[in-house]
Amino acid sequence: MTDGALSVTVNGRPATLAGVPDSERLLDTVRWRLGLKGTKEGCRSGDCGACTVLVDGVSTLSCLTLAHEVDGASLTTVEGVAQDPVGRSVQEAFETAGALQCGYCTPGFVVALVGLLRERGRSAPADELLADLGGNLCRCTGYLAIARAVALLAKEGP
Amino acid sequence: MTLSPRPDARAKLEGTAVYGVDLEAPGMLWAALVPSPVAHGRLRGVDLSVARALDGVVAIGAADLAALLPGATGDADRPIFPTDEVVYRNQPVAAVAAPTLERAREAARAVRVDVDPLPVISDLEEVFPDWPGPNADASEHVAAHVRAHDGDVEAAFRTAETVVRETYRTSSVHQVAIEPHACLAEVTDGTWKVRTCTQTPFGTREDIASLLGVPEASVVVEGTWVGGGFGGKGAALLEPYALLLAKASGRPVKLALGYRQEFQLGRTTLPAVVRMETAVAHGRIVARRVRLLLDVGTSLPGRDFATGYSIGFLLGPYRTPAFEVEGYAVRTNKPAFGPHRAPFAPQCAFVLESHLDHVARVAGLDPVVFRAAHLWKEGDTTPMGQRVGPFGLAAAFEKARATAARWRAEAGRDTGVGVAVGFWSTGTGAGGEATVRLSPAGLEVVQGEREIGSGSVLAGLAAVAVRSTGLPRERVSVTYADTSRAPFDSGVFGSRTTAALGRAVDDAVRALLEELGDRLGGSGPVRLAERSGEVWAEQGSVRTAVRDLETDAERVDGAITAKGRHYGKSGEIDERKVEAGTFYPYTDFTGAAHAAEVTVDRGTGTVRVTRYSAFHDVGTVIDPATAAPQVEGAVVMGLGTALTEEAMWSDDGRLLNPGLLDYRIPTLGEVPPVAVTFVEGFPGAGPFGAKGLGEPPMIPVAAAVALAVRDATGAHVTELPLSSERVARALKLL
Repeated sequence: MTDGALSVTVNGRPATLAGVPDSERLLDTVRWRLGLKGTKEGCRSGDCGACTVLVDGVSTLSCLTLAHEVDGASLTTVEGVAQDPVGRSVQEAFETAGALQCGYCTPGFVVALVGLLRERGRSAPADELLADLGGNLCRCTGYLAIARAVALLAKEGP
Repeated sequence: MTLSPRPDARAKLEGTAVYGVDLEAPGMLWAALVPSPVAHGRLRGVDLSVARALDGVVAIGAADLAALLPGATGDADRPIFPTDEVVYRNQPVAAVAAPTLERAREAARAVRVDVDPLPVISDLEEVFPDWPGPNADASEHVAAHVRAHDGDVEAAFRTAETVVRETYRTSSVHQVAIEPHACLAEVTDGTWKVRTCTQTPFGTREDIASLLGVPEASVVVEGTWVGGGFGGKGAALLEPYALLLAKASGRPVKLALGYRQEFQLGRTTLPAVVRMETAVAHGRIVARRVRLLLDVGTSLPGRDFATGYSIGFLLGPYRTPAFEVEGYAVRTNKPAFGPHRAPFAPQCAFVLESHLDHVARVAGLDPVVFRAAHLWKEGDTTPMGQRVGPFGLAAAFEKARATAARWRAEAGRDTGVGVAVGFWSTGTGAGGEATVRLSPAGLEVVQGEREIGSGSVLAGLAAVAVRSTGLPRERVSVTYADTSRAPFDSGVFGSRTTAALGRAVDDAVRALLEELGDRLGGSGPVRLAERSGEVWAEQGSVRTAVRDLETDAERVDGAITAKGRHYGKSGEIDERKVEAGTFYPYTDFTGAAHAAEVTVDRGTGTVRVTRYSAFHDVGTVIDPATAAPQVEGAVVMGLGTALTEEAMWSDDGRLLNPGLLDYRIPTLGEVPPVAVTFVEGFPGAGPFGAKGLGEPPMIPVAAAVALAVRDATGAHVTELPLSSERVARALKLL
């Protein structure tokens, strides 16, 4: 970790960063060094899920992760989810179901759901997926349209 | 391809929508606020010297304002920085900016704030341990006092068969938008420009101009996407500090709240105490007394609307032949009371519905039949003397009652159902204007509001234009311009956007169609239609492509343009009934009736809502795709008010739970299925008879849940929220 150097693959493209302080959170690295501001800053304390990114495919709260912890890893942010069919299907399901209002929690939900589908496969039951999305907070939809989007994904299958 | 119900879906799903927190500019500085360390104190000094010695730091306090704002007077009652007294904890006493956020925070910590503590009033019941006496108006703690009466209340209470007296307490609840407040300010050539996440761009401009003491025309507010408003993002909060730092530094300045600060500085609903007294004779309400003490924090005397508006929601929507109401807005050492989705109305509905349910039980009457018998109908007169317009509340109530009866028949052990009503009036008294631009490609609605999430701007206004013109949805767009270019509008609040700004859009379309009619020269109404890939205008048998109706100038400009406006009127109340303060008339009568089913854990007092059904008198549904989700979201927000949400303040004015772990909003696993039904045919003040929908679904929720808990267990809880602890106490488990 000399000179704060850090190498990651971000949405499929390699990136090398220098001068990243040991204490910097991945959230700030993604938003301000990599300029990927689709990842949202909410509570900064791990309670809301708005900052969710995938680290080597695993759903991760970027506000509770130090940037240097992900050295060498592959990151996926909301800007990159459309690169594969799972991500596109999640976006389409949210669009069709109208599963968003203000949109601020939306990137966190989309990324977390993509992570879950990659982990469990497209045939995972909707209620299990919803149970695992319980750490993402939404204040607008009451989660009901989000549940419809998840049900739509489950119905359409892989 | 079918259109998404949300025109904003792609931007939000792909992460390209830019919110306040995302803003940046070359050479930008980051700002931080310096908080008061006490909730009340004499300010002896604010020493910025250590902060200023840090590399790249700009710091400003009260002493710097004269140099930054030469000739400006500002608002003497609302100084940007206090000069002699701090009145709530974390009140900004200075502001700093630096090249990095870390440096700005370091600088803020380096500011020495010297304060002599003064006694803190945190709890409104400390101010008036007994009901305010005859000299209460003279108290510095009274921000507003309202009083009204009608009929011989004394006599009615004396001769009544049943008299019920109760006291209720409601909690402080926060909007909890997931997006914290953030803005970016730039000051150039005498223009104060700020990009900010506001739900009232023009209101924010007005507030900034008033606080800084500069002309409104010199202030430009550009709205960003808003990550949830719920009332918390109106007027100005951070903008004046960021603008002054931008002026002092000559650089763009970014100011964003951390989430703790979001809770600590946000203006929101504060606690209240309500006393309710009802007299019943022959199965009918003959008289009522309502007394309200509402905590308004540091709201200024005379500037508070909450008491005069709210107190009506403690009387209506029920026929009341004789009444006395009195309310005090009480100042305490907290941030000012601010609007939160149907400000204080859910609390009023909880008190009113719980009380009337209890009254009926004490009188030996069926609580549902008793309430239904008193509901306002069109043609009735409100207690304050306003004639009730078209009102579908009784129809909605009947449907909710039928649903609840069905659930009741199925209910198992520890399961109960509740039915409650809510009443609201669409905020169409606040005016707005819009411009429409018609080109061969379609119709553009140009206006001054950003979408805050409800869909009322991007989906609602578009749906109005579709209905007014006959165009297909994909030929209509809604665009935004900042306050220097857009037509004026009052803001996204009061459930008014589709209703009031929608009327302005409809008015603009009417002007446009009239102009097209003159050019077409046919007879009868003009409609627009899509024909071979472009827009045509039709009047009877006369059909012409819009491109052939344009003047040369319009062809260059790209559009035929028309303007519209709507400044709505409220009804009138009978001022003879008013003894003190201001009471407000309604623009229309919007009703909702909800049915809730709950199960209560007999060991812990924990309430789980298992089914929910909402019936809404909405006048006319303008955009079905966004209307029902609006109700779902508000119901779930209401469940938070009902069950878990409570901002807690210590005796020394400290907010004890400024975070999402301790201030619990509903999470995904706690949400019941919510059925939504619209009751149409009782027109309101909006376009095509629409009524507002953003706030009403929030109102009956806590009441419906409380009545369901009582049905399940017999527990009569008179405080919000119905936390496990409160329900357990009511069940004598604690």
